[in-house]
Amino acid sequence: MIGDRSFGLVCLEMALLLLAGPLVTGTIQKIKARLQCRTGADLLQPYRDLAKLFRKDSVQADTASGFFRSIPVLVLAATVTAGALVPVIRVGPPALPLGDAILLLGLLALARFLTAIGALDAGGAFGGMGASREMTIAPLVEPVLMMVVFSTAVAAGTTELGALAAHRGTEWLLAWRAADFLGFAAMLMLLPAETGRIPVDNPDTHLELTMLHEGMLLEHSGPGLGCMLLASHTRQMVTLALVSALFFPAGPAGTGAASLLLGVGTSAAKILVLAIFLALVESSYAKLRLFRVPQYLGIGFVCALVALALRIL
Amino acid sequence: MDVQAGPGLMAACYGGGALSSLLLARGSGRLAVGVGHVAACAGALVGLGLSLGVLLGEPGRTIIQPIPVLFPFARLSLSIDGLSAYFLLVISLVAIAAAVYGPAYLRALSPEARPARQAAQGFALNLFLGCMAFVCCAGDALTFLLCWEGMTLASYVLVVSDDRDGENARAGLLYMVMAHGGTALLLVAFLGLTERAGAFDFGALRATASGLDPPTRTMVFFLAFGGFATKAGVIPLHVWLPRAHPAAPSHISALMSGVMLKVAIYGILRFAFDLLAPGAGPLPSSWGWTVLFVGTTSAVLGVLYALQQHDLKRLLAFHSVENIGIILIGAGLAMILWRQEATSSALATVALTAALLHTANHAAFKGLLFLGAGSVLCRTHVRNMEELGGLARRMPSTAALFLLGAVAISALPPLNGFVSEWLTFQALLGGATRVQGPGGLIIVFAAAMLALTGGLAAACFAKAFGVTFLGRPRTPHAEHATEAPPSMIAAMAWLAALCVALGVAPGYAMRLLDAPTSALLGGAGSSAVVAARGPLVLSVALTPSGIGGTAMSMTMIAALLVALTAIAWVLRRGWRRGSRRTAPTWTCGMSPSARFDYTATAFAKPLRLVFAALYHPRRDVTHETSESPYIVRRIHYAGEIVDLAETHIYRRAARDISILSQTIRARSTGSIYGYIGFVLGALVVALLLVGVIYR
Repeated sequence: MIGDRSFGLVCLEMALLLLAGPLVTGTIQKIKARLQCRTGADLLQPYRDLAKLFRKDSVQADTASGFFRSIPVLVLAATVTAGALVPVIRVGPPALPLGDAILLLGLLALARFLTAIGALDAGGAFGGMGASREMTIAPLVEPVLMMVVFSTAVAAGTTELGALAAHRGTEWLLAWRAADFLGFAAMLMLLPAETGRIPVDNPDTHLELTMLHEGMLLEHSGPGLGCMLLASHTRQMVTLALVSALFFPAGPAGTGAASLLLGVGTSAAKILVLAIFLALVESSYAKLRLFRVPQYLGIGFVCALVALALRIL
Repeated sequence: MDVQAGPGLMAACYGGGALSSLLLARGSGRLAVGVGHVAACAGALVGLGLSLGVLLGEPGRTIIQPIPVLFPFARLSLSIDGLSAYFLLVISLVAIAAAVYGPAYLRALSPEARPARQAAQGFALNLFLGCMAFVCCAGDALTFLLCWEGMTLASYVLVVSDDRDGENARAGLLYMVMAHGGTALLLVAFLGLTERAGAFDFGALRATASGLDPPTRTMVFFLAFGGFATKAGVIPLHVWLPRAHPAAPSHISALMSGVMLKVAIYGILRFAFDLLAPGAGPLPSSWGWTVLFVGTTSAVLGVLYALQQHDLKRLLAFHSVENIGIILIGAGLAMILWRQEATSSALATVALTAALLHTANHAAFKGLLFLGAGSVLCRTHVRNMEELGGLARRMPSTAALFLLGAVAISALPPLNGFVSEWLTFQALLGGATRVQGPGGLIIVFAAAMLALTGGLAAACFAKAFGVTFLGRPRTPHAEHATEAPPSMIAAMAWLAALCVALGVAPGYAMRLLDAPTSALLGGAGSSAVVAARGPLVLSVALTPSGIGGTAMSMTMIAALLVALTAIAWVLRRGWRRGSRRTAPTWTCGMSPSARFDYTATAFAKPLRLVFAALYHPRRDVTHETSESPYIVRRIHYAGEIVDLAETHIYRRAARDISILSQTIRARSTGSIYGYIGFVLGALVVALLLVGVIYR
């Protein structure tokens, strides 16, 4: 079975996800600032932050082990590899089989696991706190995400995201059924959890009471911190691309340069819509107490399970 | 050399090792241990060659060898088919590591051990390995049961061999009781068959079983399943496992957790698909669903209990419960799907492949982790991870290998744990689409629980690795630890290499799975179903028409990961090579000490609260004050969780039994007339019952 997306295209998509990741973060920050009647930082501010970090010296905790230095690199690599598994510009299975949605979730889990290891390495209480909370939320998010993926995969007969999107592409928006709506609702509930945003996590704060992900980054500095931040931008981007591949898999069919540009444009539009959704949610809700989060995710689980039940029964 | 000579040579190695260890008991203990382990290693290498010879030889070949007369009343034999050879392979792979690891470990852990004890350890190790190998190669019920019993007794000796406190003896006793309860069930199951067949060998049993009526068949299966499940440690029959496994020396723990439990899996598969399978048509539906349910429960509860353990080896033992559960999910699904329709048989092969692959994977990474825990134990003499910390700087190779095992067991790519879980997920998804209705929903729920299990395992190992190896040392034991001896590192590196190889190139392992899957299920083997597109790509077709399907290349992903890591490494060095300096960790202005490090209890606390309904956590905090109640001198904290099976089943049963015996004792007056009265009463009741039944 020769697929529709060549390896070069897959690499291009991966690079696009990596490079556009900070822009999406900048967009969300800008929208949030406007909603709070502030001017806000420039859209390109995350790029400037990264450039600054990569030029800096680094300081390492004196108790950290040899693993500490390699962790940002591995986290970034695992997250970007996950980016190779989502279709962005065009739909269809890749010519060279790489992996499916389960592998994508596995790679994101690998990045999270390594981040937690890095947080524990420095031996401060903040890192441990962040790692403990993150590893509490993550096992609860993963089954729900898996259910959402399965609820679309059952219909398509595959968990490979490109093929899944291609299958759904023929019967897209007008053919949405109850299962799709429920699955999408579950996915929207998971989106803040997976991208580390309110109401599950607060990306803007290092306050002890509210942080999850940021607490794990405290001991990283300089280029290492730059890698970690780039990884979290990419992770957010990959998650948004996953949502659009599962639920809005429209893309042009041609092969020319024009259709390639059109593909970039449509996926940018889809991701922009989801980014606006994230910014709106983040501006209009408060962060949940940590022990409320399992209940919040429980609603998502019920939605996803009902969606799957509707598909199977 | 011909594979026909394999079984004899293997028996000679293990037997010779056991005997020479015993003979050397009078002399030097170190020599006895050394000879015993060398012989065990030789036996394992022979077993490896034998199993590879069968697995890669001509398809469908079964080696049958008679055993020279032991008993006048029965002819014993060995029969090695694909399934036997596969489990023999798994046993041999871990046995090599254990045999290399053992001598240095025993010397480092207890240098002044008496020669007799050392000889007993060498003897029991060989007996244990030999019996495990021959359980899988048994060709008749008697050989099977004899080796099964030998395996239990030898492992009991090893569990209590390191008896410095009474704890190990109690663990050993519980293990004995549970193991023999299981063996009793197995005995009944086998006797039920042999009595009908009039012979012991599996061929005769198979022929008899194909003519059994369905209720008897199901009853025999559940008897055997109960017996094997006790040995495999599935919840709620697991209570012995987290006590006995940590008590044994660590390389024996690696064998018990990594391999001995798998022998029980072998038994379940042998009974379900081979001995008891009906001549035609699917297996009774109650079998597969029960196994699936038990597997899912064990997986989730096993990992949840593991999360709250602070004893490193006990934590690993609970993870064995979890992984046995994952294997049983695959096995149960294969039972459900087997022979359902023409199109499902491929899916049953996928499910069985997942189960068998996870068997090998779990043996590799659990062996690695137990050996890593053993290295920590022999260098610090501490098992409680709250008293460890900072070992990564003191034992870097051990830490790196343990981390690799932790990534593998957490089912994270690109290592082997992920591959078998991926196959299990694909089989579950395919099963859910095939088994429509409520059954499909149960299968989907099992998939969700499997995802939960993977996530919780990652949390658990972030804790286990982080608290043991990272941060600052919390006690002088951890402070003065040094790197483990090279032979122990080498044994761990061997298992780590297996984890990487099975993770990065799983397609090649599918070739080894062809023989067991086609021997059990018939039809195409694993590599035709899962590695149809070449060994570098795993692919599964979910829909019967073959369209769609999912393909994944672990090799490509690993290559991509390595390439991106290299690019990121260059990027991280920055375009201006920045300097690196070290500084103390920020602890809000106080001088950092080990008290700032997150402890294992604290790390697992949020999950303890989230799953409080399952844990029933209990905490006692007492303040010790001086004269004024406002000046606290000391705070005592004690927290514990309960094991639901233990409190709700075992304790309750123990309480009921003791109440019953108290009541009986109250009636035992010592007067002879009273007893005669009881006997008379019992006789009357019995006669009445007989009269009612045979009226």
